[in-house]
Amino acid sequence: MSRSSLWARVQQWRGVVLVVAAVVATIWLALNNQLILYIHPRYVVFTVVMAAVALVLVVASFLLRLGHNHDEPPTRAAARLSTIASLLAVAVAVAMIVVPPATLTSATVAQRDINSSGVGAEVQSVDAAADSSDAVFAAFTVLDWASLLRQTSDTSFYASKPVDVTGFITEDANDPDNVFYVSRFMITCCAVDAQPVGVPVYLPGWRDQFAVDDWVQVTGEFVPNASQSSTEQVALLPAAVTPVGEPSEPYLF
Amino acid sequence: METTTQQRSGEAGRLPPEQPGERARRRGLSGRARWLVIGLVGIVGLFVVRHLTAGIEDAGLPNQFQDFLTLSISVIIESLPFVVLGIALSIVVQVWVPDHLFLKVLPKNRVGRRVVISLLGVLLPVCECGNLPLARGLIVKGLTVSESMTFLLAAPIVNPITILTTYQAFGWNDGILVSRLIGGFVIANLVGWLYSRHPAQQSLLTDRFAAECKVPAGHAHGETRWQKSVQLFVRETGVILPALFLGSVVAGLVQVAVSRQVLVTLGSNPVWSILAMMVLAFIISICSNVDAFFILPFASTFLPGAIVAFLVFGPMIDIKMIALMRTTFRTRVLVQIVVVVALASALLGLVINYVA
Repeated sequence: MSRSSLWARVQQWRGVVLVVAAVVATIWLALNNQLILYIHPRYVVFTVVMAAVALVLVVASFLLRLGHNHDEPPTRAAARLSTIASLLAVAVAVAMIVVPPATLTSATVAQRDINSSGVGAEVQSVDAAADSSDAVFAAFTVLDWASLLRQTSDTSFYASKPVDVTGFITEDANDPDNVFYVSRFMITCCAVDAQPVGVPVYLPGWRDQFAVDDWVQVTGEFVPNASQSSTEQVALLPAAVTPVGEPSEPYLF
Repeated sequence: METTTQQRSGEAGRLPPEQPGERARRRGLSGRARWLVIGLVGIVGLFVVRHLTAGIEDAGLPNQFQDFLTLSISVIIESLPFVVLGIALSIVVQVWVPDHLFLKVLPKNRVGRRVVISLLGVLLPVCECGNLPLARGLIVKGLTVSESMTFLLAAPIVNPITILTTYQAFGWNDGILVSRLIGGFVIANLVGWLYSRHPAQQSLLTDRFAAECKVPAGHAHGETRWQKSVQLFVRETGVILPALFLGSVVAGLVQVAVSRQVLVTLGSNPVWSILAMMVLAFIISICSNVDAFFILPFASTFLPGAIVAFLVFGPMIDIKMIALMRTTFRTRVLVQIVVVVALASALLGLVINYVA
C-alpha cells in the first residue's frame, strides 16, 4: 500500500475508531453503573440506546467495502495539521479507555466557588423545614443544609437538630487550618456543570487527621462559628468525623 | 471524476485478466470477513482493557489534570448520543427521503423557504452538535448554503426537546421560554437572509466539503441504500468526531483554567451580566437540549436578559460548535457568523433587561 493510500485509509477510518472508543467507554460505564459520574441519570437510557445504535453502524461498516474517496490529496501543511488533530483526538480516546473513571476533585471546587450562584436555594425552605422531625433532619444532605444556611444564620433554628452528612473535604479559603467544608457536587446535566455545595465544619487541627479530598461522614450540630477569619457565621460542630469510602453515587442530582 | 477512473482502472489492473469478476467477489468476501473479525476482536479487546484498567486504585494524576480529563470526557459522553442521532437523521434525509418529495414541500419564495426551513427543527429534534451533520446533509441534498445555515442556527432552539426542557426548567417565568424561541428564530433568519445576498454560495464552504457536495453519496455505483447509509456513516463520523473530540478538549481546558467566580460576580449588572452569560455559554459548550437545567441555578442571581442571552447564544455558538462548524464553513464566514449572532443575542438580552 503506497503512503498516500495508507494516509487515505487512516483518514477514512478515524471517525469509526473514535466512535468505537467513546461507545465502549459509555457502555462499560453504564454496565458498571458509573455513567452517572459524567451525566445526569435522566440521560442514561438515551445515551445507552444511541451508543448501541452507533455500535450497530460500526459493525455494519466492517462489512462494507468502502468505495474510493473523492478528497483531494491534502497539501503537506494540511496533512500535518490534520495529523496533529487526529493524534490529540486519539490521545483523548485512549484516556477514555485507560484512565480509571473518576469524580471531580477539590481542584474544581476551588475553581467554581463553593455554594455560589444560588445553588440549591429552593431545595429547602426554613418555614417548611422548621417543624420536621429529627429523622427528617438526620436524612438531610449537605445540599439541604447548605440551602437552609443560605436562608438563615439564626442559630436558634438549628439548635438541637441532628446533622449527619457525608461528603469530601475542601478547605475554607479564609481559615484553612480550622474550618473545612463537607462538600458534594450537584449536577443538573453533566459533570461539566457540576456546582460544589457544602457545609462548613469547625474542627481546629483537622489536617492532623484528614486531607483535602478525603470522604468523611460528619455528625453534630450547627452552632455559631468560632473561627475568627471564616466568613461563615454558622458552622457544624462535629460530634464525630468518620472516614468513609467514596459513595457509589458521589454527585447529588 | 478523473481520480475515479484512474483508481478504478488501477484496481482492475492488479487483478489477473481471466474471470476478474469472480475473483474480485471472492476476494471481497474473504476480505470483508477478515475485517469483521479484526473489528470485533478490537472492540472486545477495548472492553477488556477498560475493565482491567478501571481497577487501578490511584492513577497518580494530579487533581487538575484528572478534572480536565473528567470534564472533557463528560462533554464527549454527553454529546455523543446527539451526534449519533444527528448523523442517523442526516443519513435518512440524504439516502432515504426522495429528492423531489423533499424539495417540493418547500415554498418557492426565498424568505418563505427559510422560515419553513428554520421550523424543520420541530420535525428533526437534534441539538447543535447533531445538527451540523444534518445541515451538511441538507446542503448535499440541494438546499443553498444560506438556507442550511438558517436551519443550523434555528433547529437547536426551535425543537421539541429543547422547548420541553426549557419549559420544565423555567415554566412561563419572565418570558424566558418565549424570548428564547422567538430570538433564536429571528436571529437564524437574519443570518440566513444576510448570506442569501452572497452571490457565490459555494465559496462559503471549505474546499473539502464543497468537493463532497459535488459528488453525492454513493453516486452511480449501483450500491444499495444500506451500503450508501453505512458509507455515509463512516464519512460523517470521520469529519465530525475529531472535531467533537478537539472541541471537548478545549472546553475541558478552559473550564480548568478560568475561574467561574469572576463570571458570577457580574450577575446583577444589566450589561455585564449578559456578556458574562454569553462567555459562559461559549466556554461550557453543552447541548441546547439540556442547557436550561444547567442555567436554572443561576436564575436567582442573573437578570432574565442574561439568561435569555445564554439560552439563545449557547446553542448557536460555543467552543465545541466552532470546531464542528469549521469542518464545513470557511474561517472568515465563521467569524462573521459569530459576530452577527453575538451582537444580536446581546441586543436581545439588553432589550429584555431594560424593557421587562
